[in-house]
Amino acid sequence: MRRWTPRTHLAGLVALAVAACARGERVPVRGGVAVTDDAGRQVTLAAPARRIVSLLPSFTEILFATGAGDRLVGRTTWCDYPLEALAVPSVGDGMPPSVEAVAARRPDLVVLYRSGPNVTAAEQLERLGIRTVLLDLNLLEELGPATRRLGTLTGHSRAADSLARVLDSLASQPPVSSTRSVAFIVWDNPAIVIGAGSYLDRLAALAGARNVFHDVGSPSAQVSIETIAARDPDFLAVLSDSAGPPAYASRPEWRVVRAVRERRFLFLPGQLFGRPGPRAAEAIRELRQRLEAAAR
Amino acid sequence: MKFVPLAAAALATLAAALLLGPANVPLGDLTASPIIWQLRLPRALLAFLVGGALGVSGVGLQALVRNPLADPFLLGLSGGAGLGAVVAIALHLPGPWALPLAAFVGAVGAMALVYRLGLIGGAELDPRILLLGGVAVGAFAAAITTALVSLAEATELRNAFLWLWGGFSGASWTTVLVMLVYAPLPLVVLVAAARPLDLLALGEEPAQYLGADVRRLKQLVYLSASLLTAAAVAVAGVIGFVGLIVPHMCRLVWGRLHHTLFPTAFLTGGIFLAAADTVARTVVAPRELPVGIVTALLGVPLFAFLLRRWTVS
Amino acid sequence: MDRELIVAVSDLTCRYPGAPRDALRAVSLDVRASEFHALLGPNGSGKTTLLRAALGLVRPVQGRAEILGRPAGDWSRRDLARVVGVVPQREENLFPQRVHETVLLGRYPHLSLFGGVRAADRAAVERALVACDAVDLADRWLWTLSGGEYQRVRLARALAQEPKLLVLDEPTVSLDLRHEMELFELVRTLVDGFGLAALMITHHVNLAARFADQILILAEGRAVARGAPAEVLTRETVERVFSWPVAIEPFDGRPQMIPLRRHPS
Repeated sequence: MRRWTPRTHLAGLVALAVAACARGERVPVRGGVAVTDDAGRQVTLAAPARRIVSLLPSFTEILFATGAGDRLVGRTTWCDYPLEALAVPSVGDGMPPSVEAVAARRPDLVVLYRSGPNVTAAEQLERLGIRTVLLDLNLLEELGPATRRLGTLTGHSRAADSLARVLDSLASQPPVSSTRSVAFIVWDNPAIVIGAGSYLDRLAALAGARNVFHDVGSPSAQVSIETIAARDPDFLAVLSDSAGPPAYASRPEWRVVRAVRERRFLFLPGQLFGRPGPRAAEAIRELRQRLEAAAR
Repeated sequence: MKFVPLAAAALATLAAALLLGPANVPLGDLTASPIIWQLRLPRALLAFLVGGALGVSGVGLQALVRNPLADPFLLGLSGGAGLGAVVAIALHLPGPWALPLAAFVGAVGAMALVYRLGLIGGAELDPRILLLGGVAVGAFAAAITTALVSLAEATELRNAFLWLWGGFSGASWTTVLVMLVYAPLPLVVLVAAARPLDLLALGEEPAQYLGADVRRLKQLVYLSASLLTAAAVAVAGVIGFVGLIVPHMCRLVWGRLHHTLFPTAFLTGGIFLAAADTVARTVVAPRELPVGIVTALLGVPLFAFLLRRWTVS
Repeated sequence: MDRELIVAVSDLTCRYPGAPRDALRAVSLDVRASEFHALLGPNGSGKTTLLRAALGLVRPVQGRAEILGRPAGDWSRRDLARVVGVVPQREENLFPQRVHETVLLGRYPHLSLFGGVRAADRAAVERALVACDAVDLADRWLWTLSGGEYQRVRLARALAQEPKLLVLDEPTVSLDLRHEMELFELVRTLVDGFGLAALMITHHVNLAARFADQILILAEGRAVARGAPAEVLTRETVERVFSWPVAIEPFDGRPQMIPLRRHPS
């Protein structure tokens, strides 16, 4: 029979306390907000953020969509939606973020997309005493959680939660039965296509278009023109703001692909389709409409 | 006599390249299928021509710098090509030919710079200066390239690097034609230099005593080998390893005399690269591997096998 | 009948770019057919420079170097290689080769650009191997040969060029007694039997005295003495040039130099 000494009791209590602090959210001070970001960090603010720098166009969109747009004091050069965003001063292209330019805006919160260089920039900003939050945003599923957390940090939880619910339900929808097939071509030499596990692939599935490269596990992959021709998609989707066929469409080796010969291209504007964002439902509708229009 | 098995292997490799691929082309449709005529045939021919060009260029450069570790890309050409390609992307130069042409110009620029370095102080293309100059020019070009990359748009540049890492995805009859029109002159010059290059292996002074005009020989070989390599880079990016290993393989099997070495290196290089490209586009279908990885994976065991046979005999 | 004048160097002065002194100063030399010339002198005295200038590899500052009546610089390397066969001091051997391949390299000045190796070429190779007593070495790999055998093969290669003049740059360095003697005897035989001229740079004063017809001694770029061995190799001359006390003793009609000890026991 084990005997519990006072020292064992004390050790046990200390262990419990440490465990309680590490797991779960720390109890914020009154009026404060806290979230756990995707780098596993606890981000705590004494009060909802009033001066925000957003380093990703999608975050800028979400902030405006949840009513926090007026708190924005800095954005990247790529943040072009909505129009009001253009009035916010730019802190550079964010690749990698210019720590000095961001700090010069005197923010109390910086929102970053979680990538290697951004993690380093976040550490540097934290050393300057600026709070940062790192969020993943590669997939449709990640829109909801990101929106919720931004809502908490800005004190706009209600608007954020309702947007997040829409996005979550979108993400949980099963793929619509497809009548058309599509391939997303992002580069021509060598030919790079979009595969499963990417935002565009999910959009296609929800819009009723089957991505012929859905069997490819990675978000992008190099394939030969021959493979594209063999899989014979009905449409080639291209991220482009113009409506003219891409340059490679006139080359004889590309014309082996039926969709190129028949000029069956879908031109998807980069602003709406190029990145996961709160207008995902609109993107899906847009895609479905273009498919039906092109089919006629 | 040695060319008969090589020619047969070349035909077999080309046939395999035509018959194998991700698309299923029934034998009956072979002659009419656009996949064969527009995609597989030009791609196989281009891979063959580029492999042959790199093999011959490797032979020439190894003889020139009298160093068996020389590779056509050792003299700064790959750095120059990379810089050219990145400049083309950064300036948004239009047209499908912008990238290859810029890579070619970059490679030729690097070649000219190394040549000029090789003449410093009356050095007359001293092989050691060529090698050092090549490394220096390559490093310089790489530094500028990195600076440009950090200042310009990320995704397009990433894709430019994918192109530069080598591959035949963009093969077309036009690129085949470019090689067919462009490669014969440097090839002929190199083949004509076969005997003097045998002499050069003894050293520059002994070669002169045996009748070689060493100064002109070095100029011609350097220019021809570099131009061949620059053309190869323009159509297929930087494919390393072929120019380094194929000359050695041929020397092990057929000896070191250049009038045999040049033709066998051309055929062997062509076979090797065409086979590697076929593997690259079929082994992980639907995806493609970069062909430079396949050449290394195939080439190293092959070379080790040949080396063992030779040291035992 | 006057023997054919192959190399005529007169009053030759040479200086390497950036050098403080002349490498050669007003040196003259005539080499005719069937003559064996030896070029002697301490290290750095200009022997190799004289060779290079005579063969058109170095441009003289003053004076003339002519081969068969034409200035050395006017000859194309290919044509010159058909007249002069050189066994250089050093050469590289990057890739393994066989003896008969190496000797065949000597035929290259005679081969046309895209032409093949003809029967006449193979015959010349055979003759060269026979003359150098290297026929049984023909199929051996170069890297398996001894020092003496290797020199014989290189001499055969020079002979395969069918030259009028053989030039050898210190050919007996690192050879043992037997191979050294064999080489000198071989050169003498070639000169006497085939009417070739020979010009040899060597440090072996005594063998030069025994075998050569004419000796030229260089010191600091200047010709110190030129003529038959008996005239040239006097005690005063040798001691002055080589900075060492010697005794001169005749042997077989030729002067032989015996170095004296500075600190006798």
